[in-house]
Amino acid sequence: MAECCFIHFSRGDVSHRVRASTLHAGESHTENVELLNPVNLALQCTWTGNQNKLPNITGFWRKDGDEVENSRVTVQLEGDEYELKRVFSIVSEESLGSYSCVFGSEAKIEFVLAAPQIGEVRDKPIVSYVGDSVVIACKMEETKPKPGSWNWYKANGTDKEQIFVVAEPLRYEIKNEERKTKLVVHNLTEADGGLYYCGAVYAISTTMGHVELKVISFQEPLKPFIAIVIEVIVLVAAILLYEKSQSKKNYTEGSNRETQGENNGPEGSSSTRQRKI
Amino acid sequence: MVVVGAHISIGFAYSTPKVLSVFFIDIQEQLGASYSEVAWISSIMLAVMYAGGPVSSLLVNRFGSRPTVILGGLLCGVSMVTASFGNSIVYLYFFIGVIGGCGLSLNLNASLTIISKYFLNKRPIANGLAMAGSPVFLCVLAPANQYLLHMFGWRGSLVILGGLMLNCCVAGALMRPVVLPRKPEKVEERPNLCTKPQQSCRNNAKKFLDLTFFKDRGFVIYLIGNVFFIFGAYAPIVFLSAYAIRQGVEEYSAAYLLSIMGFVDMFVRPGTGLIASSKWIRPRIQYFFGFAMVFNGMCHLLCPLVKCYAYLVAYAIFLGVSFGMVFALIFECLMDLMGNERFPSAVGLVTIIECFPILLGPPTAGYLVDIYKDYKYLFFMCGGVVVTGGLFLLVMNIYYYHMLEKEKPAAVREQNQTKTIENQDLVSASASRKYQSPERSMAGEC
Repeated sequence: MAECCFIHFSRGDVSHRVRASTLHAGESHTENVELLNPVNLALQCTWTGNQNKLPNITGFWRKDGDEVENSRVTVQLEGDEYELKRVFSIVSEESLGSYSCVFGSEAKIEFVLAAPQIGEVRDKPIVSYVGDSVVIACKMEETKPKPGSWNWYKANGTDKEQIFVVAEPLRYEIKNEERKTKLVVHNLTEADGGLYYCGAVYAISTTMGHVELKVISFQEPLKPFIAIVIEVIVLVAAILLYEKSQSKKNYTEGSNRETQGENNGPEGSSSTRQRKI
Repeated sequence: MVVVGAHISIGFAYSTPKVLSVFFIDIQEQLGASYSEVAWISSIMLAVMYAGGPVSSLLVNRFGSRPTVILGGLLCGVSMVTASFGNSIVYLYFFIGVIGGCGLSLNLNASLTIISKYFLNKRPIANGLAMAGSPVFLCVLAPANQYLLHMFGWRGSLVILGGLMLNCCVAGALMRPVVLPRKPEKVEERPNLCTKPQQSCRNNAKKFLDLTFFKDRGFVIYLIGNVFFIFGAYAPIVFLSAYAIRQGVEEYSAAYLLSIMGFVDMFVRPGTGLIASSKWIRPRIQYFFGFAMVFNGMCHLLCPLVKCYAYLVAYAIFLGVSFGMVFALIFECLMDLMGNERFPSAVGLVTIIECFPILLGPPTAGYLVDIYKDYKYLFFMCGGVVVTGGLFLLVMNIYYYHMLEKEKPAAVREQNQTKTIENQDLVSASASRKYQSPERSMAGEC
């Protein structure tokens, strides 16, 4: 459905790239573009058109849903195709986002420009205990480029506060490997619970992954545990008492017991079976 | 009620090493261990559970099943709770693996023994129902553990799991010791027959590893067949999901295959027990066992021919059926061969020897996959080994019973034939007792 190619060359300290995409059938298509560094990116869209191939159609560009200024052009039908091309200067995080080329009112190709995303995000919270230490980890997949460095942030309301080890060396420890990072928090308190963000730092921007930490006191699991222990003691006592009362009854009943014992559930001892032979 | 107790006890014993794997990822992260290091926890627990067989036999012979299971339950509970405070992987190896494994081995052996003591005619059904504990508990504990993990983290979950394992004490309490009325009279009745076997019984109980079992042909046949089976049985289950995903099945659907197998297993075990109790099968239970093993092996051999999901589901169902059949019968056949008194020591010896195939089987299979990069050789190897074990059992049992017939004096055979008139109920078991009466009449009356 869509083809693309890369042409990579550099001029000075900013590299230039071309990302092309061709739309044959259907009305829209999305391409994901991974960027690490600031770049002048040329986006090229080619559309093979529909049944009535008009000689001229209007094409324009959109960024994040808003039309890019001065991007409306008239596109000529050349060799059975329409082509739109524009160079965008991607320098910072604000320049990243969704860029779309639109042909008339029908065909659209979307380019999603982003730094490499952290794929394996842990969706369930980590549960730890007051006074304990916890290790929160983030990993960038092997298939994706490795980040320059890692940062850790703690959510504070709607904001994120960066965690600096030097400020509290006894509480926090950050261990970074190329593609993995671990935040160790010592001496947990209930206030330490909440969302933690790991940021993979690339030249163009920092991608975030998040992990939730729940801190509970150790009385929490203790309550069901004690409930279970009480249940066990009650059941064991009940069974043993029942048995004692049964055996007292049987003692008084005497010889009737043997025949009853053979017909009911437990089939009596093996020795009585053997004696029948 | 004894069956309920055994069901709970066996359920915990077989399912705990497997369901602990739910916690592994968290433990790995928090303690900084590698995947294989964490997987050793289960392996150590399983190995100790099997290796502890002789010690367990000793305790059961000395004190009976009830105190042993209660002790086992306490050990397990304490081990899990202590393990929750752990900060290193070696700590977990010791407390979950070694101590927990000891507790489970006490539970397993004692539960099987109490069934052999309580039941005779309905013993296959009792065995089937008790062994069904394993799939039932697996199906219950796996999601329960997930839930506990999300609520309390791995430490809290271990504490609560320890508490749940204390329920084995309840199971133990249900195992009322078998009361033998008029036993003193019986000893007086036949003192001559009893003194010699009684002494040898005591010696058997006292010996740690009773190697005289190896002189028993039936035992050796059973053991060899079992070793083959255990070696090949577990690897296909371990690798089933991975194989399905390799065939293009989606992850959740692949996981469902194992659930299907477990679910089918749950019902097949008591069902097999029921069939095995019937008039036609009971006397030929060793052959039924061999047949079940061959069936299991054939399933594995046919698996590589199966590519699409529907057929994989069918494979999982047949696997569940055959696996359940074998496991329902595995201890029943040993009880059938050994008789009441020798069973605890026999099962201890069997489990310690089974330690080796159970630890070697899956890694060997995994090694095959690594070399050939193809799962079909794994299935061929496992299927081949299991079918060999099953055929060995079938052929050797024919030989064994043939030899028994030749060795038995004709008089004893006549005696047994007249006794069949006595009780209709005993007709079904008499054929099996025909083959075993020389050993069992001695063993039972000690």
